[in-house]
This record gives sequence, C-alpha cells and structure tokens, in this order.
Amino acid sequence: MYNNYGPSYQEQRLQQMMEQKQLKDFMRMYSNLVSRCFDDCVSDFTSNKLGDKELTCVTRCTLKNMKMNERVGQRFAEENAKLMEEQAKLGN
Amino acid sequence: MFGGVFGGGSQKPVQSAPMGGMPGMGQGQGQMDPNAQLAAAEQEMEMVTDMFARLGELCNKKCILQRYSDEDLTKAESVCIDRCVAKYFQVNREVSDKLAKLSQVNQ
Repeated sequence: MYNNYGPSYQEQRLQQMMEQKQLKDFMRMYSNLVSRCFDDCVSDFTSNKLGDKELTCVTRCTLKNMKMNERVGQRFAEENAKLMEEQAKLGN
Repeated sequence: MFGGVFGGGSQKPVQSAPMGGMPGMGQGQGQMDPNAQLAAAEQEMEMVTDMFARLGELCNKKCILQRYSDEDLTKAESVCIDRCVAKYFQVNREVSDKLAKLSQVNQ
C-alpha cells in the first residue's frame, strides 16, 4: 500500500503516529499524576472536602512532578542522543 | 514532559531516529520496503516511550521524597535525577552488551 507513495507520505504517517502517541502518553501521565498526588496527599476522610493542607500538598505534588518529568525528558534526550552516536560509530 | 522527547519545548527532538542500545537495531533500515520500515519505526517508538515511562517511574521513586515541602525540585533531587537517568542508560548498555555476547556464543 505504501509503495505507491513517496517518502513524504511516510513522513506524514510517522508524524501522525508520533502525535497520537504523544497524546496518549500525555493522558496517561495526567492519570498517573492524579493517582500519585491523591495517594501521597490524601488520607484524612473525616471530611468529604479537601483540607488546606491537602490542597497545598496536591499543588506542590503536581508542580514538582511536572518539573521532574521535564528534567527527566531533557536528560533522556541527551543520553539517547549520546547512545545513538555510539551506535552509529559502531555501525560504520 | 514526555512530549519533549519527540520535539517541542526546549528539549532536543529525537524524531524517527533509531534508538540505540539494542544490538542490530537502526542498521540497514534503508534496505527494507516502506511498509516494514514504517512498522519498524513504530516498534522503535514504542520501545523509546516504554523506556522513558519506566525510567520516569523508577527515578521518581528513587529521587523524590514524597513530603512535598516545596513545589520546586531541590538541588539534591535535581542531581539525583541527572545521575539516575545516566545510570539507567549505563545499565541499558551493559545489559545489551551482555545479551549480544551471549547470543554470539550460542551461534
């Protein structure tokens, strides 16, 4: 099926795939974040509303985890680039 | 955020490039027909995202103290994350080297 189309079509398909993947991963990250912050911050069930301490904790949890994710992403990209360089050297 | 690995934000994009660390991957892809190429690219993407997810989970567990006294990363946590990612990749290399040697011996 793809044989009839040039490389630009393939690139488009790849781009589409990556975008879908990014969306899916963002949704998963969001769900995990909610779970984690709930688990870490909420344990008082004498009320059905979040207390001040819990709210603060959840805010900090969200921000901290987002920043951590960002940093991991940066380091990951660097290390992965290094790794690919090494692989490329081995391959030649 | 994860999205940074594939481009966007301030991170370097790692687009449709072969992911190293697995013996034999990322080589000779020019020879395959486009269908197989696309499938291989998708496979690699899956691997990279899986690796990133595991890495994120593990380094979070090992580096972030859950007390959340502050919304910013502390210096200790930042340093821990850098080292955690670096070591994860080293482990990745070691494991793939050993596996490659093992499979050579078996042939």
